[in-house]
Amino acid sequence: MPTTLNRHAVPALAAILLGASGFAVLLALWLAGGGEVDVPWAPSLDLRLHFRLDGLGALYSLLATGVGLAVFAYAAGYLPRHLAAHGRSPAQARPFWGLLVLFMGSMVGLATAQDLILVFVFWDLTAISSYFLIAYDREERDSRWAALMALIVTGVSAVLLLIGALVLYAEHGTFSLPELFDRVEAGGTLTLAAGLLALAALAKSAQVPMHFWLPRAMTAPTPVSAYLHSAAMVAAGVLLIGRTYPLIERSDLVLDGLVVIGLSSVALGGVLALTRDDMKQLLAYSTLSQYGYVVFMYGLGGEKGAVAAGFYVVAHAISKSALFLTAGAVTEATGGAKRLSELGGLARELPLLAAASAAAVATIVAVPLTLGFFADELFFKAALEHGPAAVAAAVGAAGLTVAYLLRFWAGIFLGPRPCEARSLSAVLLGPVVVLGAVVLVGGVWASPVSGLAAAAGESSLRTGADASVAYHLDARPENLMALAAFAIGGLLLAAQTRAERWAGVVAQLGSRAGPERLYGAGLRRLNAMSDRVHALEVRDMRTRVSAVLVPAGALVVLALVATPTSGAFTVGAFEARDAGLMLMLVLAAVTAVATTVPRRHLTLALVLSTLGYALAGVYAFFDAPDVALVAVVVETLLVLLVLGVLALVPSAVLRREASLPTPAKRRWRDPLIGVVSGALVAALTWATLSRPSPARTVSAEHVRLADQAHAKDVVTAILADFRGLDTLGEVTVVAVALAGVLALLRGGRMW
Amino acid sequence: MVTSVVVQAVARLLLAPILMIAFAILVKGYAEVGDGFSAGAIAALGVLLHYVAFGRATTERLLPIRALPAACFAALLLALALATGPLVFGDPVLTYAPSPGAEVVQLGTLEVIGAVAFDVAVFVIVMGAALGIIHALARQAEEIRE
Repeated sequence: MPTTLNRHAVPALAAILLGASGFAVLLALWLAGGGEVDVPWAPSLDLRLHFRLDGLGALYSLLATGVGLAVFAYAAGYLPRHLAAHGRSPAQARPFWGLLVLFMGSMVGLATAQDLILVFVFWDLTAISSYFLIAYDREERDSRWAALMALIVTGVSAVLLLIGALVLYAEHGTFSLPELFDRVEAGGTLTLAAGLLALAALAKSAQVPMHFWLPRAMTAPTPVSAYLHSAAMVAAGVLLIGRTYPLIERSDLVLDGLVVIGLSSVALGGVLALTRDDMKQLLAYSTLSQYGYVVFMYGLGGEKGAVAAGFYVVAHAISKSALFLTAGAVTEATGGAKRLSELGGLARELPLLAAASAAAVATIVAVPLTLGFFADELFFKAALEHGPAAVAAAVGAAGLTVAYLLRFWAGIFLGPRPCEARSLSAVLLGPVVVLGAVVLVGGVWASPVSGLAAAAGESSLRTGADASVAYHLDARPENLMALAAFAIGGLLLAAQTRAERWAGVVAQLGSRAGPERLYGAGLRRLNAMSDRVHALEVRDMRTRVSAVLVPAGALVVLALVATPTSGAFTVGAFEARDAGLMLMLVLAAVTAVATTVPRRHLTLALVLSTLGYALAGVYAFFDAPDVALVAVVVETLLVLLVLGVLALVPSAVLRREASLPTPAKRRWRDPLIGVVSGALVAALTWATLSRPSPARTVSAEHVRLADQAHAKDVVTAILADFRGLDTLGEVTVVAVALAGVLALLRGGRMW
Repeated sequence: MVTSVVVQAVARLLLAPILMIAFAILVKGYAEVGDGFSAGAIAALGVLLHYVAFGRATTERLLPIRALPAACFAALLLALALATGPLVFGDPVLTYAPSPGAEVVQLGTLEVIGAVAFDVAVFVIVMGAALGIIHALARQAEEIRE
């Protein structure tokens, strides 16, 4: 490592330690037979903390922590260089590490959660940490746009997940997944809920048509792309499909939908990957294509599909991470080259990197002696059960994969060399080598991964599953399909220019009429609508107030016309003890009329404050001392604040504004609105007070219960105890007002 | 801003009594007229008078106003904890500690019960918010004048 152990390296080391210990703990727990935590923490609301380390949970959490560990090691060397290249201080590394650790934790929580609400919470946590990580280079507009796009697409689909969970709760009364699996029956509700859950999962895994956020998210720093957008966050989508598979598999419609969407993603991702020049974009399309494989396998249904899916996710995540880290390392070594057209012939200068990334490419391409060969063997076995169409699709997909990945590797490491390359430091090279070694070892000793995949299949299918893989040197159908795939890939590479031309046509079609245009157009329309509403309602203060008063007055007129008004307006008797109240009311009325007179802002503020104090006097005479106290105090506070704010405005501006003549239209419109709404409110108050409600049950109840609440002052008991939730809401509003003022005036600092 | 000697003397002399009255209103709120909200507002008013008389720098040197915005948010968290804490034990929200009919510890007029803790949280929130806003406005006024 180039830097010595300074305090900026501490967060990196802490994160790596956390990742390593997490991996170790999870592995130990899994080998000891799994564990479970079930705490009903809010029983009156049916909320439980239910985590179980079953096969599916172990597979995804070990994947998240294992790949995360490699990425953390890489990022420890990558991040200081990245910050230095962008001219940012090294202290800005701390939020990056915090977000990565948060993400790792939420992935583990998501994998082991057994309660739909918990799943939703961790789902959104991963989306939020992804948002901040993609937008880590805050100054770049592309990063901010990509982060917002990812958040909106995955966040809106998360709401679909919640709605699906609520539909299931309304039908069966529980959020807990094991209980739901026992209770559901096939039918319309189940199809709806399963469809919503599947939609949320597909958006998260960047499947067609919600795929457009993933290539854009490649503006994130390389460790983020390698971890989130190849191995962990997009894996969360297929994790949800696996976790809720007992629900999904009972609905043939959803399964068919999964097959269609999976195949479309495979095709689209593969075709577009053939045209991309930018390394990370190519890998992004490859990722969405490979997850299309997994979705297709789940959609096929049956035992083989679920088992193959788990195996495939592991093989893909390890190798795709390695390839992203390779892309980042190559960019570092060549001083910023990001495109295949700028690169070439680096195998001589970076032999170790070339070998490690070749192992990763070989895994995804499914060359024998790598982990990916077994993954494809299971994939072909699953496709064989479902007829020739599935077989043809599978072989075609594998062929496309061969073509674009070989193009990727050859474009970087073979051919003529247009650029120079420095040597790489060990911390950037090491993780790639480790990941490459893992997939090579897996090619020979696959039983750990197949054991995990079988256990994951068992969690999804709720019956026993088997995922044994081995090398068979005979003419089995799977081997023939693999050979056919290689042949197709070779053909595509040979006809490269023609293939690229056709692929380019598809890409053009997509950018002209694809879902990303819909997204952009949708956002623009929303903004335009918001601007129109703003222009209509919020033009100036008076318009805003009359926008409330005029409809209220219209409703009052409706009410008076619609309800019987005989005996509605009575005039009560006037007694001597009402003299004080009458005096304060007259004072309040006179002051209210007097507020229309002053032109200067200071005078107006003082007259308004007199009105406030007069009303406080009215409350006092109305036998409401608590209200009067609060009214006086608040009035004083507000008047002093208004005067203080007025003192900030230059007196010349105040004088000019005060002497402006009223425009002609407003000269009759404002008084008319004021008089009419005032008269209507007066009529309403008169009508209400003429017929006081006969039953005062609620207040009598409060007075009766005050003793049980250990209170002698009923009003305070009402505020703090009986209507405590109202007070909580109001107090939250006060705190939010403080936060707003601090955000506006102090730039968000607390002091 | 220079204010007259009379205003300064009044502000200095009244600060302690005003804070005392605010605290008294908070404490006796459960037995007589008063509650956390008006207590917080009165306390803020006392400090605001000091601001007007002596200016921002002197007042903030004398009184620990710097901690108040953070205290406001901490008190909000306390109020939320008091309200939602009973959920963990299976009770509905806002179930306070000494249940009806149980013994209540009394310190003079003050009763040591959950509702009074809630009231104290409201007091801190209101005072913290008011003084935080006043501080922000005062800083803004200074920056404008420069």
